[in-house]
Amino acid sequence: MDEYDEMYGIEDDFEQQFADELEVMAEMEREHPTSAKVSEFRKKSISQTFEEAIVSGDVPLRKSVNNHCPESISPPVVEEEESLTPKPKKRRQDVAKKLQFENGDDITPPSSPEVYDRPARDWPGFSLSLSPDRPEATKITANVLDISGLATLQESPKRDSAARRHVQKRPPAIGDYITVTDSMGNRVYLNKKEDEEKVPDPRAFRNSLNGLGLLAVPIEVLKEQIAERRHRQVMEESQRLTELMNSGIDSELLAEEQADSGVDGDSGEDEGSSSRLWVDQFSPQHYTDLLSDDFTNRCLLKWLKLWDTVVFGRERKPRSAPADVRPNFTNAQNQNQSQRFKTKSQMTEEILEAELDQYKRPKFKVALLSGPPGLGKTTLAHIIAKHAGYNVVEINASDDRSAELFQKRIDTATQMKSVLGANEKPNCLIIDEIDGAPAAAINILLATLNRKDSKEGEESGANALKKKKKKQSVLLRPIICICNDLYVPALRPLRQQAFLLAFPQTVPSRLAQRLAEITRRQGMKADTGTLMALCEKTDNDIRSCINTLQFLHSRGQKHLDQRSVNSVSVGLKDQNKGLFSVWQEIFQLPRLKRKRIGGDPFGGFNEAGPKDGAQRLQHILHLVSSNGEHEKLTQGLYDNFLSMKLKDPGMLGVCTGLDWLCFSDLLNECVLHGQNYSLMRYFPFLPAAFHHLYAANSVPRINYPHSHYEAFTKTQHTKNALVAMLNDIPPAIQNRISMSGLCLDIISLLLELISPKLRPVNPQLYSTREKQQLYDLIDTMINYNLTYRQDRTPEGQYTYVLEPNVEDVVHFPGLPPRRQLTYQVKQLIARETELERMRRMEKAKQKQNPQKTEAVNKDQEKKTEVKKQTSRNHQQRLENIVKQTVVESRPELDFFGRAIVPKEKPVVTTTSEDGKGGGVVHIGKAVGNSDVWFRFNEGVSNAVRRNVYIRELL
Amino acid sequence: MFFGVSCSKAGEGPAEWLLVELQGEMVSRQNTGLAGNLMGDLHYTKEGVPVLIVGHHILYGKQVKLEKPFAVLMKHSGLPQNEDDAMETNQENPTFYTVSALIKKKLIFKTRPKPIITNVPKKV
Repeated sequence: MDEYDEMYGIEDDFEQQFADELEVMAEMEREHPTSAKVSEFRKKSISQTFEEAIVSGDVPLRKSVNNHCPESISPPVVEEEESLTPKPKKRRQDVAKKLQFENGDDITPPSSPEVYDRPARDWPGFSLSLSPDRPEATKITANVLDISGLATLQESPKRDSAARRHVQKRPPAIGDYITVTDSMGNRVYLNKKEDEEKVPDPRAFRNSLNGLGLLAVPIEVLKEQIAERRHRQVMEESQRLTELMNSGIDSELLAEEQADSGVDGDSGEDEGSSSRLWVDQFSPQHYTDLLSDDFTNRCLLKWLKLWDTVVFGRERKPRSAPADVRPNFTNAQNQNQSQRFKTKSQMTEEILEAELDQYKRPKFKVALLSGPPGLGKTTLAHIIAKHAGYNVVEINASDDRSAELFQKRIDTATQMKSVLGANEKPNCLIIDEIDGAPAAAINILLATLNRKDSKEGEESGANALKKKKKKQSVLLRPIICICNDLYVPALRPLRQQAFLLAFPQTVPSRLAQRLAEITRRQGMKADTGTLMALCEKTDNDIRSCINTLQFLHSRGQKHLDQRSVNSVSVGLKDQNKGLFSVWQEIFQLPRLKRKRIGGDPFGGFNEAGPKDGAQRLQHILHLVSSNGEHEKLTQGLYDNFLSMKLKDPGMLGVCTGLDWLCFSDLLNECVLHGQNYSLMRYFPFLPAAFHHLYAANSVPRINYPHSHYEAFTKTQHTKNALVAMLNDIPPAIQNRISMSGLCLDIISLLLELISPKLRPVNPQLYSTREKQQLYDLIDTMINYNLTYRQDRTPEGQYTYVLEPNVEDVVHFPGLPPRRQLTYQVKQLIARETELERMRRMEKAKQKQNPQKTEAVNKDQEKKTEVKKQTSRNHQQRLENIVKQTVVESRPELDFFGRAIVPKEKPVVTTTSEDGKGGGVVHIGKAVGNSDVWFRFNEGVSNAVRRNVYIRELL
Repeated sequence: MFFGVSCSKAGEGPAEWLLVELQGEMVSRQNTGLAGNLMGDLHYTKEGVPVLIVGHHILYGKQVKLEKPFAVLMKHSGLPQNEDDAMETNQENPTFYTVSALIKKKLIFKTRPKPIITNVPKKV
C-alpha cells in the first residue's frame, strides 16, 4: 500500500514509461502480506530499488524533479490530496480508468463527478488521455502541467511517513522519531508525524477553532469556486487543443459551443435591455407612486402650494380646499396617518397654515429635506415640484463649489423663465446635497432669501405680478434643498430659515412590496422574506435595494434567495452612524425575525450557525470602518464592556477582551509611531471581537466614555504637582532627580521621612536630639520645596495639607491613608519652615547687600548733584526775596522800644541744599533752624507702619 | 508715627513712658536721619492740652489712655553677633527680653499743624 502511495506520487511523470512496471508493482504489493512482521527495511529496500530504477532509467527527468521540489505548491492542491488519504481504493480505480483512456480514443474530458471534485489531481490524467493521438502536443501539455504533477510528487514523502505511524522496534531510517523506554527497559521508537498531516476536514478545523468567519463566503466555498473555475479553464484549454489537433470537429463539441454562444447572445440581449438603471426605470412618475412617508410628502406639497399665490397669481384657497385635495392623493393612508400625528407634526402643520408675508410668500422660503441616502428625497422633490406645476431646475450643490457660480445659478433659476419651450412653467429650484456645499454658497443662498427691495415701501400696494416684473431681485420662486446630514455646521444659518422636513425610514413592507413588483416585471423570482431581508440589509434604502436587485439580475441570478442576498456585499452604503448606535449594535445581538437566536453569545454562537455569525461580523466590520472614529469607539468599548452581562464564570471573555484591547493599543501605537497606516485596516476587528464576546439580547446601557478623560486630567494634576515641586527644588538636588524617579522612587519614601514622631509640645521644650530632628525635617522639607498649607475643608475644619500636594501622586485609591502628623505638629512645622525659609532669604540677601548699599549711596549723591543744578534759578529768586526782606525789615524793638539784636543771623545761602524745602527754610528762621520738621499727612493714617525684620526679634 | 517719651520718676519698677502719635511724618532736613536730633518742644497748656512745636509748626493734641498698655522690651540676644543662622539649638544662653518701660497713655496730634510766622515780609 505504502509503496503504492509513493509510486502514485511520482506516477504522473514516469507513468508513460513505466506503466507496465507500475502494474506489476501494484500486483506485487497486493500479494505482500501486510502483517506487522514485515519490517520497514524490506519495504524500504523495495522502494529504494524502485527509485534507483527511476533514477537510472531517466536521469534528466529526475533532475527536473529535484529542481522543482523546493517550490511550494498551492494550498488547494494540498487540501485535495489530504481529503484523498482515507480512500486509496478509489485511486486505484482512477488509474485503471486512466489506463483505459490510454487505450481508447476518447478525447473528451472524463465526465465523471470525481473530475469536478478534484480537478487538480485529474489534470495529468487528462493530459495523458490526449497522448496517444498527438505525441508532440502531449509533450507540450505534459511540460505545462509538469508542475502540478510534481506538486503531488513532493507531497509523497509526507504521506509515506504518515502511513508508518505505528510503534517500531528499531529507529526508523527516514524521518524524525522519539525513543520511548518503558519500565521493563524495552525501547521502542515512535515516528514523528508532521502536524500538517493531522489537519482534518478543513470545515471541522474551522469549527473547532470557533472561527469568526472573517470571510463573507467561507473558504471552502471559495476553494470550490476556484477549483471550478480552474476546471473550466482546463476544459477550455482542452477544447482549444482538440480544435487545434483535429481539423474535424466533433458534433458534440459543436453543439456545446453553439449552446455557449447562445448563452452569450442571451446575456447580450439582457445587457441591452438593462442598460438603463432600474432605479430610473422604475422611479415613481406620480405622486401616488411615492414610497416615502405620506405625511412628509403631503407637507412638502402643501408648502409648495403656498407659493401659488405669488407664482401663479392664484388666490389661496379657503382652508377646506386642501382638505378636498388631500383625499385625492392619500385617501387610503389618511386614517392611519391621523393617528400618528404628533405635536411635532402638528407644529409643522401650523407652519404650513401660517400667514404669508408681504410679498405673499410663505414664511419659510426654503424647504430643507433631510434624511439618509436612498430614501427618495430627490425623487420626492422632483415629483412634487412637477405635480405642483413647476419646471424643475436642479443644482447639485456639491458640484458647484465656487460661490459666484452658485449665485449665478440661483439667480438664473429663480428669476428667469423659459420662453421658447411650449411649457412655460415657472421654475422650482432644487438644490441637492446642500450639505456638501461650502459655507460661502450657503451664505449666498441666505442673502438671496433675505433680499429686499429698496422701493418696497412705495409699491406695497401693488399686486404680485407687477412686483415680479419690477423687482426682480426679490426671491419669488420656491427653493427645495436636500441634504443627508441636517446638522452640518455650514447649514446652521439655513436651518433657522428653512421649513425643515426630516425623512423617516421607508416602511419595509411597502418597500418590499415595490421590490416584489419590480422583480416580477423583470422575471426574477423572489419571495417576500428575501426581499424583506434585502430591505433590512440596506436599511430600507430604496435605491440600494433596487440596485442590488439589478446587480443580481445582471449576474444571471433569476432566482433570488436569502443566501445570495446575504453574501452580496453590495447594498451596503457608506453612512455614518452615531457613536452610541454603533456601541449599541456592538453590544446587542441583532433581532432576528423568524430565526432562532443564538441565546448564549459564547456557547450558542456555534449552534446559531457560522453563517449568521459571519454575517454579523461583516455587519460590525462595515459599521465600524464606516464610522471611522476608532479611538472614541474603542474607549467606549473599554468603558462599557465590563458592565455587559458576562456569562462565563471564568472571566475568560474578559481576558480575551483585554487581550484584544492590548492588541488594538499596540496596533494604534504602531500606526501612529511608524505612520504605518496600512495596519489601520485591522482596527475594526476589535469591535467585531467585542461583539462576539459580549453581545447580548438585552438592550445595553451604554455610558459615554469618561475614564480616558478622567485619567488624563488626573495625570495632568499629578504632573503639575510634580513640576511645581521640581521647579523650586534647589539645583543641587534637582539635577539628581527626574520626574519619573521622583514619582516612582522618592516621594513615597520622602513622605515617610517627613512625618517623624514629634511630641506635640512647644518646640522650646524639645530635647537637643528632638530639636535636631525637627531641624533636619525642616531642612528636608525646604530642600524638596515642601510645606504645609492651611486649608479649610468644606465642613469648616482647618487642616494642613502638603503643598504642593504630592501625597495624591503616590497614594493609590482604596488603600488606607498613610499616618498623618497631628494638626499641631503640622502647624509647628509649617511655621518653622516659613521662618527657616525667611532666615535663609535674609542671609542670601545680606550676602548680596553690601554691594547694593554702596550702589544706592552713589545714586543718591548723583541725585543731589543734579538737584543742585536744577534748583539754582529757583533758589536765586528766593535769595533775592529774602535779602530784600532782610534789608527792609525794621530793627526789632522790645517792649521798651529798644532795639533787639537778633541772636542769630539767618543763614541764607549755605544750608539750603534741599530745593524742596528752600522757601520754608528761610521763612521759618525765627522758630529756629531745626533739623527736624513735620510733614502732615492729611486724611491718612498710616501712622503705624514700620518694617520689622525677623532677625531683629530673634 | 510713634515716639516714646520718658515720663515721671525713675526709681521703683519700670518707668512709665508716654506714646506720642502724630498724623504725619518727622522729616529730617538733611536726609541725615532723625537719630540724635532735637525734635521739638512739648508743652502743656494750663488746661492740660499738649502742645508740640516742631520746626515752624505748632501742633495741638490731646492725651488718651491706651486700651491695652504697652511694654517696652529690651532684647538681649543670646547669639553671637557674627553667625546668627542656626536655630540656637546648641546655645546655652537664649535670647531674653527685659521690660524697660510701660506705656499707658498716649498723646495724639491729629490736627493740621499751624505754622508759626514770626517775620512777615512787607513786600514779596
